[in-house]
Amino acid sequence: MQKSSFLTIVISLLAAMNLQAQESVPEMADAMRSDGKIYVVVLVLATIFAGIIAYLVRIDRKISKIEKNK
Amino acid sequence: MANSRLTTLIYKDLVLEWRQKHTFYGVLLYVGATVFLVYMMSGQPEAKIWNALFWITQLFIAVNSVAKSFLQEHPNRFRYYYTIVKPVHFLLAKMVYSTALMAAVSAIALALFNIMLGAPLVQLGLFIAVTAVGSISLAVIFTFLSAIAARAQNNAALIAILGFPLATPILMILSKLAVKAIVPVYQPGWWKLMLVLLALDILVIILGIILFPFLWQE
Amino acid sequence: MRKSWWKVACVVLVAYSIIGGLLMQVPRQHILNETIRNLYFHVPMWFTMILLFTGAFIYAIKYLRTGRLEYDINSVILTKVGIFFSLLGMVTGMEWARFTWGAAWSNDPKQLGTAICMLIYFAYLILRGGLSDEEKRAKISAVYNIFAFALMIPLIWVLPRMVDSLHPGNGGNPGFNAYDLDARMRAVFYPAVLGWFLLGLWISTLIIRIELIRFRKENDFILNSNK
Repeated sequence: MQKSSFLTIVISLLAAMNLQAQESVPEMADAMRSDGKIYVVVLVLATIFAGIIAYLVRIDRKISKIEKNK
Repeated sequence: MANSRLTTLIYKDLVLEWRQKHTFYGVLLYVGATVFLVYMMSGQPEAKIWNALFWITQLFIAVNSVAKSFLQEHPNRFRYYYTIVKPVHFLLAKMVYSTALMAAVSAIALALFNIMLGAPLVQLGLFIAVTAVGSISLAVIFTFLSAIAARAQNNAALIAILGFPLATPILMILSKLAVKAIVPVYQPGWWKLMLVLLALDILVIILGIILFPFLWQE
Repeated sequence: MRKSWWKVACVVLVAYSIIGGLLMQVPRQHILNETIRNLYFHVPMWFTMILLFTGAFIYAIKYLRTGRLEYDINSVILTKVGIFFSLLGMVTGMEWARFTWGAAWSNDPKQLGTAICMLIYFAYLILRGGLSDEEKRAKISAVYNIFAFALMIPLIWVLPRMVDSLHPGNGGNPGFNAYDLDARMRAVFYPAVLGWFLLGLWISTLIIRIELIRFRKENDFILNSNK
């Protein structure tokens, strides 16, 4: 009886330590970095941004043209 | 000279109010009906809710009573005033008048709240002081907004739209200040908050003095 | 491409903030985890909004001083683009908060402050919508703009003292203070703010130019018909 209770205490303590060890390093997307998948996300975002900028430049040129025609 | 003009204008507004008693009684009835409605909805609520309901009632009183400071005058009459007084005096007179009106109506609202919704106030004097400051703050802001609304198509609904976003933080400050009179808790920055509120009132008045002449000219 | 160096700067800075913001090292934080990178994308929306509203405020003052309707056009377009950025900031903030703290709306003073800003400027647009006379509309809305902006700034400053915040450095947020001082994050954050502000300015100038063309055209018509 005593032995088993002692065992439970040890196990729970170990479990708590294990939990703490896990918590001390917050999880980040390390896997995505190691297998390079984050670059896909960057590429997608950069493409969208480039598209928007190209569109803005086009509008800008058009307005400049109208301003000159007057 | 300037002072006498100011007092004359304030006197004129008070006399107008006295002669058109029905509008003042209308505001009183509005306050009474609002408090009665709140009572029917909530009975005698706990102190914190009491406080919140009181300040919301104050906001509605301000929208409905102070709003008419400019709206009640016929637009053509402004042209007449324009020829005889300085805009700054006119605005200040309206602000003083609506502060007095607001303070009077607030006092009645406070009394009604104490009678109908229970009396959780521990420090009555303090609460009255906060209510007085609150009346000034709400009155000056809504007077200026009333001037804007009067120039823009005379629309009373516009005042609520323009004023609510500005009044929200001010009501938050006021209810925070008033909590001290209800629950005797230690509040560290109380005086600082009070000074911030008074500084805001002064800012509103200064902005009003600077901006009102632009509204005034046609 | 005359005077377009700042547009180039805008593109470079935002591109840098997208690439650098996703790839560079950030502090490891509990609860936040990778979402800490949202700082580079969500917060610049607020800064852009406030800076655009400040621009609108300055043009409102300029309008009242000179009475030139061009300034009124500048003021209202800057306000509209500012509202656009405030919507983006609000939505991104709610998304971030939903997945980090579990609720999209949590009485946060910065969120409240933005909600108040948005209400003020919606009211500004409604005020303008009700007036058809151009001069009168410009004058009254400029007065309201100056009045509201000058009051809004101190009120937003007071708000955090009224309610607890989830934002960095406020309240009891776990380990959320450290990154304020993190040089690695600053190196991306400040360029991102500047880049997004320039982008907001660019969009505004485009719409302003269109509106000015329309304005001049209408005025020409009036001048010609008077002859």
